[in-house]
Amino acid sequence: MSNPENVTRLGQRLLDRRNFLGTAGLSASGLALTSILSAEGLLADTPQTAGGKQPIRPAIDPHNPYAERKSHFEVPAKQVLVIYLPGAISHVDTFDYKPALIKLHGQKPPNLPKVTFEGPSGNIAKPFWDFRPHGETGKMVSALLPNLAKQVDEFCFIHSMTTDTSAHPQGENFMNTGFTMEGFPSFGSWVTYALGTEAHDLPAFVAINDPRGLARSGKNNFGNGFLPAAFQGTDFNAKNPPNNLHRPKSISENADQGTLELLKRLNARHLRKYPNDANLAGRIASYELAGRMQMSVPEIMDLSDETAATLTAYGVEGGSELRGQYAQNCILARRLLEKGVRVVQLFNGSDPSGGNGVTNWDSHSNILNTHAMQAEIMDQPTAALLADLKQRGMLESTLVVFATEFGRMPFLQSNGTGRDHNPNAFTCFLAGAGVKHGFSFGESDEFGFKAAVNKTSAYDFNATLLHLMGLDHERLTFYHNGLERRLTNVHGHVISDVIA
Amino acid sequence: MLSLRNMMRTNLPKYRWMLIWMSMAILPLSATAQQIEFKRDIAPILERHCWDCHNAESHEGELRLDTLGGMLEGGGSGIAAIIPGKPEQSYLIDVISHLDPDLKMPPEQEKIPAMEIELLKRWIKEGAVWPGQQIIATDIQSDHWAFQPIKRSQVPSFKNAENPIDAFLLASLKRQGLQFSKPAKPEDLIRRVSIVLTGLMPTPEQTAHFLTAWNQDAKQAYTNLVNQLMNSPHFGERWAQHWLDVIRWAETNGSEANLYRKNAWVYRDYVVRAFNDDKPYNQFVREQIAGDSLGSGEATGFLVSGPHVPAATVGREPEAIRQARADRMDEVIQTVGASVMGVTIGCARCHNHKFDPISLKDYYALTAIFQDVEFGGREPEFASDHPRQRRGEDLLAQINELRKQLLAYGGWEEDWGAYRELHFPAVKTKAIRIRFKTVYVGLDELEVFGPDNLRRNLALAQSGTKLSGFPEAGIENRNPLHRVTDGEYGTMAWRARVAKEADQYPFIQLDFENPRLVDRLRLSSNREYYYDTDYLEKMPTLPRYEFDMDYQKEDGTWQPWVGTWYVNKKLNQEHPDRQKTLSVIQNLITRFFEEGPQPSFVGRFVDPQVTHVLLRGSPESPRDEVYPAGLALFDGEDLGLTSETPGADRRLAFANWITHEQTPLTARVMVNRIWHHIFGTGIVATTGDFGSAGAMPSHPELLDWLSAEFMNPSEHTKAKNWSMHHMIRMMVMSKAFRQASTPNPKGLSRDSNARLLWRFPPKRVEAEVIRDSILLASGNLDQQIGGRSYRIHNEKKTYAQWEVIDNHGPHTWRRMLYQERMRRVDDGIFTAFDFPDCGQVRAKRPVSTTPLQALNLLNSPFVVEQTKMIAQRALAQTKNDQQAAIEYCFTLILGRKPDSEEITACLPIAKQGDLAFICRALINSNEFAFLP
Repeated sequence: MSNPENVTRLGQRLLDRRNFLGTAGLSASGLALTSILSAEGLLADTPQTAGGKQPIRPAIDPHNPYAERKSHFEVPAKQVLVIYLPGAISHVDTFDYKPALIKLHGQKPPNLPKVTFEGPSGNIAKPFWDFRPHGETGKMVSALLPNLAKQVDEFCFIHSMTTDTSAHPQGENFMNTGFTMEGFPSFGSWVTYALGTEAHDLPAFVAINDPRGLARSGKNNFGNGFLPAAFQGTDFNAKNPPNNLHRPKSISENADQGTLELLKRLNARHLRKYPNDANLAGRIASYELAGRMQMSVPEIMDLSDETAATLTAYGVEGGSELRGQYAQNCILARRLLEKGVRVVQLFNGSDPSGGNGVTNWDSHSNILNTHAMQAEIMDQPTAALLADLKQRGMLESTLVVFATEFGRMPFLQSNGTGRDHNPNAFTCFLAGAGVKHGFSFGESDEFGFKAAVNKTSAYDFNATLLHLMGLDHERLTFYHNGLERRLTNVHGHVISDVIA
Repeated sequence: MLSLRNMMRTNLPKYRWMLIWMSMAILPLSATAQQIEFKRDIAPILERHCWDCHNAESHEGELRLDTLGGMLEGGGSGIAAIIPGKPEQSYLIDVISHLDPDLKMPPEQEKIPAMEIELLKRWIKEGAVWPGQQIIATDIQSDHWAFQPIKRSQVPSFKNAENPIDAFLLASLKRQGLQFSKPAKPEDLIRRVSIVLTGLMPTPEQTAHFLTAWNQDAKQAYTNLVNQLMNSPHFGERWAQHWLDVIRWAETNGSEANLYRKNAWVYRDYVVRAFNDDKPYNQFVREQIAGDSLGSGEATGFLVSGPHVPAATVGREPEAIRQARADRMDEVIQTVGASVMGVTIGCARCHNHKFDPISLKDYYALTAIFQDVEFGGREPEFASDHPRQRRGEDLLAQINELRKQLLAYGGWEEDWGAYRELHFPAVKTKAIRIRFKTVYVGLDELEVFGPDNLRRNLALAQSGTKLSGFPEAGIENRNPLHRVTDGEYGTMAWRARVAKEADQYPFIQLDFENPRLVDRLRLSSNREYYYDTDYLEKMPTLPRYEFDMDYQKEDGTWQPWVGTWYVNKKLNQEHPDRQKTLSVIQNLITRFFEEGPQPSFVGRFVDPQVTHVLLRGSPESPRDEVYPAGLALFDGEDLGLTSETPGADRRLAFANWITHEQTPLTARVMVNRIWHHIFGTGIVATTGDFGSAGAMPSHPELLDWLSAEFMNPSEHTKAKNWSMHHMIRMMVMSKAFRQASTPNPKGLSRDSNARLLWRFPPKRVEAEVIRDSILLASGNLDQQIGGRSYRIHNEKKTYAQWEVIDNHGPHTWRRMLYQERMRRVDDGIFTAFDFPDCGQVRAKRPVSTTPLQALNLLNSPFVVEQTKMIAQRALAQTKNDQQAAIEYCFTLILGRKPDSEEITACLPIAKQGDLAFICRALINSNEFAFLP
C-alpha cells in the first residue's frame, strides 16, 4: 500500500478529482503516482520543502524495501564507510598543526574564553605530540598517529569544522543525524532509505559498535528516527552477532525446518485470501532474508579465512586486547563492504562507563595518557583498513568518512592536564570515491580555537556526504509531522572544493 | 499560481500594530529640533537603499518596506522592522547599522551614511509618521479548510444507513461506482474489534460465546460484544498506548545519561483511567495542561513527555544553558502542538511559519504560557478528596503532633529522602551562620524556613538575603557558593574541601533583609536526583555533614543555637525516650512517600521569566517582550495574560481557550485520530498536521459532522459532550467497520488504498498486540492494571547505556504498555516492530518489515518459552490428544480451527517433536500479525 502522505495536497486533490488510482493488482506505489503526476506536470509547481524545492522521495517497494534504487545523479561512490570517534579527538594534537601553541605554551590565552564546557580555562598548551611532514604532500601530522600519517596523501582534510553544541550526545546526534535533538534519522538510514542495497543476503546498513559498547547517543547514531524501521542500522560486531540470529539450541535443525515449512503453508493459505497484497508478500520476503542472514552473517563474522598477513597488518595480535577487538571490527567492515553492504558505520569508542573510565576520546584530564591509549587502539587497524580497501581497489567506489563530534581546546582546563570541548573548530577527513586526495580544505585560526577560513558546519558536512553519494540533500526528504524532513534541516551547502 | 507568501502576508495580524502606532502618533512632538517630514527626509532614503528589493512585487525576505504596514509587520523573520517611538528596538536600525552579524543591509554594500541612519532613527523616535498611510485593523484570516469553524454537515440520506458514518461513506463510494464489501465473518469480526478496542485478541471462550450469540441475533451479539469490550479495563490500556505514542512519552530523559524518570508512570495510569472513565476530551486536555490547578496534578506529565538534557550534561557555558532551556520549551510546544492542536508550531521557532499563518510571535507567546514548566519531579497536586492527598494530609498532621512533643526537648533532625531537615526552637534574628565540622561539604541547596510560612524559603537570594561563606569558589573554582541559595536543585552544587588541619573550615552565613523568625533548615546534596530519577547503581546518597548553627544577636555577636551533634547525640543521651518519637516520625515520613503524593516526574514549576521573541530562534538575540497567548489565528492573542500572571493561571487560561468550541482544530484533530486508530488511516492522513502542508481530508463533510457530534452529541445518543467513547462506539458500530477486509478487483482498481473504505483495510498489528496476545494464548498474561512498570534493564551507572538483562522472565508477563518505556532503547525483541524511539513527536507509527522482526519472533527466548507453554496448555486441555491439541493451538493463536490440510501438515511435526514448533509457526504467520 502506498503511503497516502506521499501525495502532495495538490496531488491528492487531483487524484480525488481525476480518479488516478488506477493500477490493478499490487497497490500503486509512490513511484507510480509521482511519475504519473510529474509526467503530467502536476507536481512541477508544488514546492514542498521549506526551502521551496521539490522533494525526491525514493519509491519504496513494500515487497522489498531494500531493493537497489538509483541515486539522484551519477557518482563514483556506491558505498560508504563512516569511522566515528566518540568523545572528540583533539585536532590540535593530531592533524591540525598550530605552531603558535608551541610559541605561547604556558601563557594565558589572549581573547579566549574564561569558561568553557567544564568550567574555567587554564593556559595554552603545545601539542602533546610532535608534528612532522608526511607523504608527498608534506602534510603535518603528529606522532600520535604514525600509521594514519603514512596515508595522508589519500585523505581530504576539513580543518574548519564547527558544531552547535559542546555536549557529547547532542554533538553525536548533530554529526550523525543532523540535529542536536533526539529522534532524527541517522545519516546511514537516510542513505539506505534513498539507495537500498546491492547486498541481498545482508542488512543494508550495519553499525559495528565498539567492543566496549554503544557511544553516548546510543542507538540514535544509527537509528531510523521517524523513517520506517527497515532502514535502521543493524547492530553487530566481530564479537557479537545480531540479537536472536541463531536458532535456539533447544530447537533442532529439523524442527526448525518443520516450523518454516508450516509457516510457508500458513502464509500461502492466508495470501490466497488477499491475493497480491504487497505487505503480506513483503513480510514473507523478510523471512526469506532472515533465513539468508542466518547463513551469511556468521560467514561474514568468521575471520578464519583471512591470511596471517592481513591479521598482522590490522594488528589483531601484538597490541592491547581492545586493539585486537577493534582490528577484527575493521576486518569485518571490509568484508561487509566487499559484499556490497551500502553503509558501514564503525565506532571507535563508547560511552564513558566501562573499564578504567576512559572508553573514548574524551580527555578532560591526563590527555597525554588517555589519547595515547585511544590512539593505540585506533591508529593501526584503521590505517590497515584504509590501505586494504585501496589495495583491493575498493576506494574507487567507497566513500570513507572519518568523523568526531567536536575538537578540543588549544588551552588546558584548570586542572592543567586535559583539554575541554571545542565546538568552534575541529578536523574530519574524507577519502575514497569522489573526493580529492592529499587535499586540505578550510583552516582554523592560529590557535585552532575557531574556524577561520571556509567555516564548515555539520550541515555542510552532511550535505557534502550526501552529494558524494549522489543525493541532493535539499531534495532527499521524508514527510514527518508537517514537514518534508531532511538530514540537513533547512541548512547546508555542498563543499564543492573537496569533490574530485 | 497564487503565491503562498502573498496569501500568508495578508493573513498576518495587523490590528495590534495599529493600536501601537496610534498611541505613538498622538505623542506631543518635541518642538526644538526641526520635525522630520516623511516625504522630504525619509522617502528618498528608503527609495535609494530599500525599495528595490522590498516592494509590492519583490519582497525579499518576505518583507515590504514601501508601506508602513509592511514595516510594522516585518518579514519572514517574524520581527517588526520598526517599532514606532523605539529606534533602539527597531530591527531595521539594527540591520542598517550592521549590529546583527548575520544580517547586514543593504546586502554586500557599505553601510548607508550615518546621517541617513540618524534621520531614520529620529523618524521612528517621533512616531514613524507616514502621511497618507492608514493601517486597517484586519483579523487574521485563512481560507485553509482546517482553520474554518466546524459546521455540522447534512447527513446524506441513504437507505439502510442507520449510522451517519455509513451514509457519508456510501455517498462518496457511490460517486466512484463502489460500495461496501460483504460483512466480515463473525470470527474475523471479533478478532478485529477486540484488537482495535482492547489490544488483545479474543480468547477461545469469548469467540465461542460470540459465535453462538451471533447465530441467534447477530446485531445484538455484536452490540453486546462492543459494550463488553469498551467496559473492559483493557480498553483504557489500548487507547492510552496510542496517546502515549503521540506525545512520545517515555520513562527516561534521552540524551547522554538517559536517566530514568522516577514514578513517571503515574501519568501513564492517569491516561489509562481517563480512557476507561470516558473523561470528556476537553477535560482530559485541560487537566494535562493545568492539572495542578484542577486536582489532577499527575496529568501534567503530559507537558514533560518529551526528552530533555539534564543540567549536568548541558555544560557550564551560559549560552549553552540558555539554549538548553529554549530546547526544553520547544519540546513542550511540540507536544501540545502535535497532540492537541494538530499544527506544527515548532516551524515558527526561528521565523514565521512557511506554510501556515503562525508567526514567530505566536510561537513565543505560547512559550510564555509554559514558562513556569521545567522538566523534573514534584509531588502531584491532587483534589482534596483524592485518597493519596487525604492520606498525605493525615500523615502530616500526625507528624506535626509528634513534633510538638519533640520541641519541648529542643531540636531534632528528620530525613526526608531528598533533604535533611533540622528543627529547632524558633529564634528571631538578622543573620544565621552554619559552621561545618567536616572537611568536605557538597550542597545543592540550603533552605531556611520560619514557623510563619513553610513555603517561603528565607535563604533564597531573590528574597533579599545576602549570602557569604567559605570557600566561596568551591573545589577547583568550579563549584561556587552562590549555588546553595539559587533555588536550583541538582548537580550544580557548592562543593568545598579543606585540609584536615586547616584553620578555617567551610561555613555559610545568611544575612536577612529584615529580622526573621526561623525554626528549621533544609540541607540537600542532590535533591534533583531524588525527585527525578531511579534505578541507578549508586543513587546519590544524602550525606551527613556535622555542623553548628549560630544566630546573630542584636549587638552583632554570635550565639550558638543548635547543632547536629547536639540534637542527634547529646539530646538522645539526656532524653532516651525522645528517640522513640523520632523513629515514629521517621516511619510516618516513609509512609508519606508510599501512601501520600509521591515525588513523580510529572514536571516541576519554576517562577516564570519574562518572555521575549527570539530573533532566528536564538536565545542570544532576544527582541520584544511577549505576553502569554494562544494562536492569533483563533483569536487567542488576548487571553488577558501578562508577564506578571502566575504560571498556573497562564496554563489554565490557555487550556480553556484551546478546548473552547471555537478553536476548531481541537475536536477535528482528536476525532481524526480516533478514526485513524480504528480504520488504519485518518480522514486526514497526516494526523498531526492539519496545516497547509498536511494532507487533505478524504471525507471533509464526515470529519466536520463527527467533530460537531463529538462536541455536542445528538440528543438521542444520550452521550455526554466530548465523549471519546461515543465517537469510538459509533465508528466500530458502523457497517464500514464491520465489512470484510478481503480485496476485490473493482475496489483495487478504483481505490487501491481503500481510503474510501470499500473494504476494511487490513494492517499489521503493533508490537504490543503481538506480545500481549502471545502471553494471553499461553495463559500467562498478568492482567493487573497500572502501577510501576516492569523492568527489563539493569540498574546502571549514571553515564552508561541501559542494558537489557531479562526481557522474558515471569515478571515481564504483563501487558507491554507496562514495559518500562525507555527512549531509544532496543528491548531486544519487540522494539524492532516499529516501536517508537520516543525522540520526536510521531503522530503515528510507521509500519515496516525487517528481517530482524523475523529473527526476533522466531528465535527469542520469549517466543521459544511461550510457545512451549502454549503447547503444554493445549495438551493439558485436550488430555494429550494430539489432533485436538493442534486444533486448540490454532484456536488459541489464530482464533480458528485448522482445516484438514493443515492438520495433515501439523501431525507429523507434532509426532516427531514438539507441539511448540507448530505454535512457533503460528505466531510467525501473517494471519497472526495482521488485523483481519
